[in-house]
Amino acid sequence: MHKILLLVAITLLSGCTAYQRDSNRLATALNTQSPEIVLAQLQDSEPQARDNAQFHLNRGFLEFLSGDFDSAITTLSLAKKEMSVLEATSISENVGAGTLSETLRSYSGYPTDRVMVHNILALSYLFKNNIEGARVEILQADIAMKKLAEKNALNGQLASAHLIAGIVYELLNEQSNALISYRFTLNIIKQRDMPIPLGLKKALLRMSFKLGAEQQFVDYQRRFPDLPKPSQKTENQVFVLYFDGVVSHKVEKTVVLPSRNFAPLIRISMPGYPLAKQNVRPLSKQQISTEMVENIEVLVREDLARETPSILLLTTTRALAKYELVRRVNEKDNLAGLLLNLVTVATESADLRSWNMLPGNIQFGYLGTTENEIQIDGLNDRPKKIDILDGSQNMILINSLSDHIFHYQQL
Amino acid sequence: MKIQTNLWFALAVTFMMTGCSTSVERIDAQEQIDLSGAWNDTDSQLVAREMIDDSLSRPWIVRFVSETGKDPVVIIGSVKNLSHEHINTNTFVANMERDLINSGQVQFVASAVARQEIRAERGDQGVNATADTRNAARQEYGADFMMQGQINTIIDIEGKTQVRYYQVNLELISIKDNRKVWVGEKRIKKLVRNSQLRQ
Repeated sequence: MHKILLLVAITLLSGCTAYQRDSNRLATALNTQSPEIVLAQLQDSEPQARDNAQFHLNRGFLEFLSGDFDSAITTLSLAKKEMSVLEATSISENVGAGTLSETLRSYSGYPTDRVMVHNILALSYLFKNNIEGARVEILQADIAMKKLAEKNALNGQLASAHLIAGIVYELLNEQSNALISYRFTLNIIKQRDMPIPLGLKKALLRMSFKLGAEQQFVDYQRRFPDLPKPSQKTENQVFVLYFDGVVSHKVEKTVVLPSRNFAPLIRISMPGYPLAKQNVRPLSKQQISTEMVENIEVLVREDLARETPSILLLTTTRALAKYELVRRVNEKDNLAGLLLNLVTVATESADLRSWNMLPGNIQFGYLGTTENEIQIDGLNDRPKKIDILDGSQNMILINSLSDHIFHYQQL
Repeated sequence: MKIQTNLWFALAVTFMMTGCSTSVERIDAQEQIDLSGAWNDTDSQLVAREMIDDSLSRPWIVRFVSETGKDPVVIIGSVKNLSHEHINTNTFVANMERDLINSGQVQFVASAVARQEIRAERGDQGVNATADTRNAARQEYGADFMMQGQINTIIDIEGKTQVRYYQVNLELISIKDNRKVWVGEKRIKKLVRNSQLRQ
């Protein structure tokens, strides 16, 4: 009976780590292969039920990058629901995580995932010409951020979510809401000590001017003295978001304490991130230049750092429990003890799951123009022309992983 | 040995608790069931019925009938979803249409989308149907009033508990002169407590 359970445990956990490795391999492949190809490979994989949320987040994002907005909405809505259900604590999963491995817990999403899913859904609805649906998602993102907010911390607070909210409100001509959202964006960017993107400065000036919020307008004019007063003329508005690169995925950091005098081996595995990549590539030398508004590389590291103390505590407790179990079996039967020790070592693996196909960073740019065409140099610098109607408001999404340029336009 | 036994027990419990099965049960469509606390069919039916009852009990309808000698003709316009949820306003509009028509106090005309389809059919009849079965163009009923509205929400959250406040506003506008002849409001407040534990 014990042998069968051991086999089941090893098989179960080896399947788990195999899927994690596969998922990380596919995330890396995004740098060289199109989202459509990676999506096809991801769909062939068979995740365990406890990995469903991670699987659906990645799949939904790839469907989004492929321009299949209907599928992206279906899949990401499913992931959103799964993460919501998994917010509650599971006793059986905690028992599994405490006795065997951290990976026996269901993936319930990090704070960044819980907000980013609304960002991608809002954009999916928008590019599907359903701005009401986008509005619902930005409201849900706001609730998610309020739930995650901690005192004096930026836990789950995404500047990009407030920025997208500001743009959607501006498209809906809800000027007051737009100004408030742009202000929230500014607050987070300042707290993160990031440079304020020019597009955001223009948005704050534009909305406070349009709204007649004189005091605020004067204040922003004083803070951004290089910028001209917003134009009274009817200009075509072009908002540009740029998804740059792929976020890093977690790696396992393992320590094995060697055996002496037949004492059991102890293996401790912790998840970690490689050193932060700093290769931010803004869109420049184009009609529209972009600047970073969200560094997802930083956010995912913060998410993990916040969980590290509890992971370390559980990992150490589990290692001691396994050690004690093996030692006791060892006292009675050396061979059984050795076999059990191998199993306890083999089943000790770090939880490497994350939404590992997110962009590395999100950039933003804004253009007010009277021209009816803008040119964007996409992947491999192949230029694409986008038609802009007179008096229109436009939202454009470019990404560094494919040639797709998504365009929403309204008059 | 005790620790070892506990480990096997914990393992067995873990695997047992991860299993589950699907069951389906037919229930009455009128039965009130709240699963997530989100806007559902019960809310849609309840709000539609109460709003229509309210609108039909107000003086505008008597005044219109006495002035024109005919029942008012109503069309339902857009009901904007400004809430935090993806609410299918079509079902809400359908509920209102049903309650309005069944009241027998107003005439009802098809929506702009439906009218296009009907006009296309009428056009087709003009070419293909026999003269005695053909329906002529330019015989449509023009609406006297349009009903428009919006659904708003306010959500307050503390930990696993949230208060969801829905406010549905509808108004009936005279198409002739843009007068608002009736304004209705219905509020629903829900207290939702999410479980701290799951299977």
